[in-house]
Amino acid sequence: MIERAFATLATFAALAFGTAIAAGLPGLAPKLLPPEQAFRFSARVLDPATIEARFDVADGYYLYRDKLHFTAQPVRVLSIDLPRGQRKHDEFFGDVETYRGAVTVRLPLASPASGKLVVRAESQGCADAGVCYPPNPQELTLAVPANGAQPGPFVEAAPKGLFR
Amino acid sequence: MAAAAVGAAALAGGIALYQHGETSAPRDGSAVLALVLPDVDGRQQPLSQWRGKVLVVNFWATWCAPCREEMPHFIAAQTKDGAKGLQFVGIAVDQVDKVREFADEIRLNYPALIGGLGAIELSKALGNDLAALPFTIILDRSGSVVHTQLGPLKPAQLDALLDRLLASP
Repeated sequence: MIERAFATLATFAALAFGTAIAAGLPGLAPKLLPPEQAFRFSARVLDPATIEARFDVADGYYLYRDKLHFTAQPVRVLSIDLPRGQRKHDEFFGDVETYRGAVTVRLPLASPASGKLVVRAESQGCADAGVCYPPNPQELTLAVPANGAQPGPFVEAAPKGLFR
Repeated sequence: MAAAAVGAAALAGGIALYQHGETSAPRDGSAVLALVLPDVDGRQQPLSQWRGKVLVVNFWATWCAPCREEMPHFIAAQTKDGAKGLQFVGIAVDQVDKVREFADEIRLNYPALIGGLGAIELSKALGNDLAALPFTIILDRSGSVVHTQLGPLKPAQLDALLDRLLASP
């Protein structure tokens, strides 16, 4: 309800108001990427019961390991082993791990998939320039071949969101 | 219901601004002053209660390290110049328990209002195109937006701006 009210406010106000203010943003803003470009999500079928998810993190950006989550539908993802990240000390959260560059994660499925498989990722990261992005859900659809023994092509998540 | 009222007020403010067009002159901050959000105790706090003050509205979150890093300077500035009419207000894109814990830990001396993830949409409506944090809007005593900033404010730059704003009636 509240979320919805905010969305309505955003929709209306952004049309009349947001763009005018944004024109006055100081120098930092134009150099920053929107989150879906800073953290590009893709995935491919390795075999009908295994998906490989991948994030390509742009230079100067990083993702938090413990904020990275994957789900799939209609077949569930079993527990996953996220690769080790680079350790980073955080005054509030203690030692945390981050990913830079490319990170790939194997997603074992609860049972072999066939046909369309929707893979969702939620990630959260920051830019070295000194900003952080809120948790960012991204989604893509893979076509799992009936007898696919060969890895399929990578599919990229489509840009998502109300305004871009 | 409160949120809907905020939406309507913000919309009205937005239209007024739009009619003024894009100029480098200070912008109307009525959409900011029309916000009403709960504090950590669940009490609804209208930002209009700080009308007439130099108001620094900072969107932040506990999961945002650069946000947390600049807050001690805000606390110091609030202590130093609160009596001169300076008011910081944090809008947390976060959960109330995390905000309360962090606010206690750093002895936050200005209101931390809870926006949840919806506050990101709110900040977008106020000019935060990238929906990133920290995002800060500074209003002068007349309620005009004199500065918006994505990313941390440099302490010296902030102090100079606040000194100037506090010196003018």
